[in-house]
Amino acid sequence: MKIVSACVGVVVALLFLVLVVSEPDQDIVAKSPLLGQPAPSVASTTIDGEPFALERRKGSWVVLNFFNSTCVPCINEHDLLVEFAASELANANAAELYTIINDDSSDAVREFFTKNGGTWPKITDDNGTIAVAFGVARVPETWIIDPNGIVRLRITGELSAGLLTEQVNRLREEFVS
Amino acid sequence: MKTRRSIWLAMFLLVGVLLVFGASRSGGPLTQQDRIDAITLNLACPTCSGESIYVSRAPASESIRSEVARQVASGLRTDDEIVSYIEQRFGGQVLLVPRASGVDSLVWALPVAALIFSAFLLFTAFSKWRTNKPTSPTLEDEQIVAQALKNQAESESK
Repeated sequence: MKIVSACVGVVVALLFLVLVVSEPDQDIVAKSPLLGQPAPSVASTTIDGEPFALERRKGSWVVLNFFNSTCVPCINEHDLLVEFAASELANANAAELYTIINDDSSDAVREFFTKNGGTWPKITDDNGTIAVAFGVARVPETWIIDPNGIVRLRITGELSAGLLTEQVNRLREEFVS
Repeated sequence: MKTRRSIWLAMFLLVGVLLVFGASRSGGPLTQQDRIDAITLNLACPTCSGESIYVSRAPASESIRSEVARQVASGLRTDDEIVSYIEQRFGGQVLLVPRASGVDSLVWALPVAALIFSAFLLFTAFSKWRTNKPTSPTLEDEQIVAQALKNQAESESK
C-alpha cells in the first residue's frame, strides 16, 4: 500500500513539475498538419464571378485571408491588409492577396470593401469547403503559400502591425523560388 | 462448489461470445444520410465545447457537415478516410471518440489497467483478511479467558 501511495505521490509531483517548468506557447505560427505540405486543391469564384483555382497561382507567393465582414478582429486588421497590399505592389516578387469569405454574403463583403478599401480578389466559399480544407474554424486566419504551392505559414487571429510583411519577407528570403 | 464455479465460467463465456458477436456484427447497408449522421456524431464542433458536429449549428460545424456530405456523395472515400481528412485539418481534438492507436490508446488502456489493478488490490486485501481471521482460540486466548473468569468468580465471592 505504501508503494502505491509513493507512486501516486511521484506522479502528482511530476505533473506539478511539468506545469511549473513548461513555458507558454508564444510562437506566432499556429500549428497545422498542412505546414510544409502542398496546399489543398481549392477552386471557387470571386464575388465578381471570375473563376479562382489555387493550383493556378503557382509561381507566386499567395496570401489567403479568411474573413467575415461582421467579425471584429477582421475589421480591425483590415487597414493592415490594405497597407500590405499597397506595399507589395512595389515588390518584383509580389505576394498575391486573396480574401476567402467565411460564412458571409457577397453583398455584405462587397459593401465592406467599397467602404474600407481593398481591391484584391474576394473568393466565395459558400459551403465552407475552402475553410474545411485548411482547417479554419474561426476567422480571421491568414495563410501564406509559397510559389511551389507549399503551405508555409498559418497565422490565427488578428494581425499585428507589420507582422504580415515581416513574415512574407522572411519566407521569401528563406525559400528562394 | 464445483457446480457453482462451472456456472460462473459458463456465464463469463456466454458474455464473452455475445460481446464479440455484438462488436463484429455488421449493421447492414447504410444510406448516405446514415453515413453522414454516423460520421458527424463522432466529430466534435471545433468552436464549441462538448457538442458534436451532428447537433451543432455553429458556422464551422455547418461547413464540416457540408464537406462530409459532399465527400459521402462523391463516394470516393470511406467513413474512416473522411474522418481522417477532417482530423488532419482540425487536429485530434475534433475526434469525439479517440483512436485506439498511439498515445490516444492510453485513453482506452488506462481505465482497463486501473480496473485490473484495483481488482488485484481488492483481491489481495480480502485474501489477507481471510488468512488473518482466527479460526480457533489459541492456548494463550484460553488462558486469558480462564484468568478473567477466575478473577470474576473471586470478585463475586468477596
